[in-house]
Amino acid sequence: MTRLAGSALIVLLYAFLLIPLVAVIAASLTAGDFMRVPPEGLSLRWFARFFQRADLVEALLMSLQIAVVTTLVTSAVALMAALGSQALSRRLATWFQIGMTLPLLIPELLTAIGLLFFLYRIGLGKTVLGLQIGHIVMALPYCYVSVAAALRQIDPALDDASGSLGASGWQTFRRVTLPLAMPGLVMGAVFAFITSVDLYTVSLLLKPIGGNTLPLALFDFLTYEFSPTAAAAATMSVLLAFAGIAVIHRLVGLQRAF
Amino acid sequence: MKRRRLRLALVLPAVVLLGVFLILPYAEMVTMSFRASQPGMMYGQGYTSGHYQTVMTGGHYLEALVRSLSMALVITTICLVVSYPIAWHMSRARDRKALLLYACVASPLMIGVLIRNFGWMVMINVDGPLNRALLSLGVIDRPLRLLFTQGLVVLALVHVFTPFMVLPINNALRNINPAVLEASRSLGAGRLATFWKVILPLSFPGVQPGLILVFVLATAAYVTPALLGGQMVTLMPTLVVQTLVGTFDWPLGATLAVMMATAALVAVILFSLATHRLMERVRA
Repeated sequence: MTRLAGSALIVLLYAFLLIPLVAVIAASLTAGDFMRVPPEGLSLRWFARFFQRADLVEALLMSLQIAVVTTLVTSAVALMAALGSQALSRRLATWFQIGMTLPLLIPELLTAIGLLFFLYRIGLGKTVLGLQIGHIVMALPYCYVSVAAALRQIDPALDDASGSLGASGWQTFRRVTLPLAMPGLVMGAVFAFITSVDLYTVSLLLKPIGGNTLPLALFDFLTYEFSPTAAAAATMSVLLAFAGIAVIHRLVGLQRAF
Repeated sequence: MKRRRLRLALVLPAVVLLGVFLILPYAEMVTMSFRASQPGMMYGQGYTSGHYQTVMTGGHYLEALVRSLSMALVITTICLVVSYPIAWHMSRARDRKALLLYACVASPLMIGVLIRNFGWMVMINVDGPLNRALLSLGVIDRPLRLLFTQGLVVLALVHVFTPFMVLPINNALRNINPAVLEASRSLGAGRLATFWKVILPLSFPGVQPGLILVFVLATAAYVTPALLGGQMVTLMPTLVVQTLVGTFDWPLGATLAVMMATAALVAVILFSLATHRLMERVRA
């Protein structure tokens, strides 16, 4: 009896985690005119409606553009930092790790406020570049953690072997380290991309005049119009995240990812 | 030697990036909180400590701060109660099952806070599945209006932060040597005694960081109260953003943000000191 109650509790708790996601996806597939769960008939018409809304599509494109740049920059910076941190002493390496994950440990709102003031001071207030910088700072920790974890798994003997066989530092990196670190790097890149697409508070305070990212547009949309179009927009970001998880799973395996 | 120095140089871009765009902005935030306000401008000439006095004497600022901190405390507590069974269940699973459970817990992390909040809006709306189920069961005779209530904000934030609590606790539970549990059982301890005296203390290295992280993040959470809380409850983060974006009083907004961060930090330090002995004992 207690066993059964225990299992029921566990199922309930997992359901709690997944309910909002299922609700959003279900609501976006409705054929009816209102946001309804379970949906009244199935259709993709609200997705079609999403793409007819110029403001939402524009926001989506801006989000994607910023996310792509964020991914490229953070991947490069995180890879370099992770490689460099291996030359640090043990004590310093621990502090370096904490420093690199700071944006994750400090509330996003505080970082956003600091950046709002600072970017204004250096003349980047309310510009796309300023927003871009905010996204890079917020995405860097996710990317760094997975790249650094991947590098730690590589046997240092391989590095030495490559060197003693006459390979230059660059050749060792290109032929040995990079291929072995690739899964971690891809994982970090996916994390950076998803983080950037989802960021809200940083985007709210740093957004350029007249520019909107998808989460900002979605928030405005939700506050004045509660239609399935919003669910369609949300479902597209959920699908984006699932695509990312699938990529990670194929390349690395989920258990090592989290 | 030269090679090592070259390698060290690779950390420079990251250090410069975070130094310039994270550390300097925090310094700027503190400086801003001492600048003079000027209506019609973001900030005025000269410096003052008047904003701190305004906040300390202005009743509704302190009220919002206390409300934010106590709400974060409630959220953190519920989060722990929800997360522990999940973490325990996960730590017992192996192979394919473990993989599936990881996916269940971690997948909400990959999806934006806004979208997860929106999911609750869909569920609890006047015409939503919760109300219709309760109506058809005859539990209620008219739909519950749950949107824009404090309870909903708590529920949604517990949902947002649960993965942050589950993952470290799960790690700590996995690190407990199964032999210890067997020893406890063979020495005659019941399941409950084993849990309270052995498992719970040994998992504390995972519980402590989980509690701290969730408390700090919950104190400064902005999106969820803004979307689901409506105008009913004034919390600190909402007040800060209103001051910055609505009235453009940057110095006052900065002061509120610094006060909020300081209050959360003090709470965390007190908690760490209070639990220091327990941590030391577990490590030994």
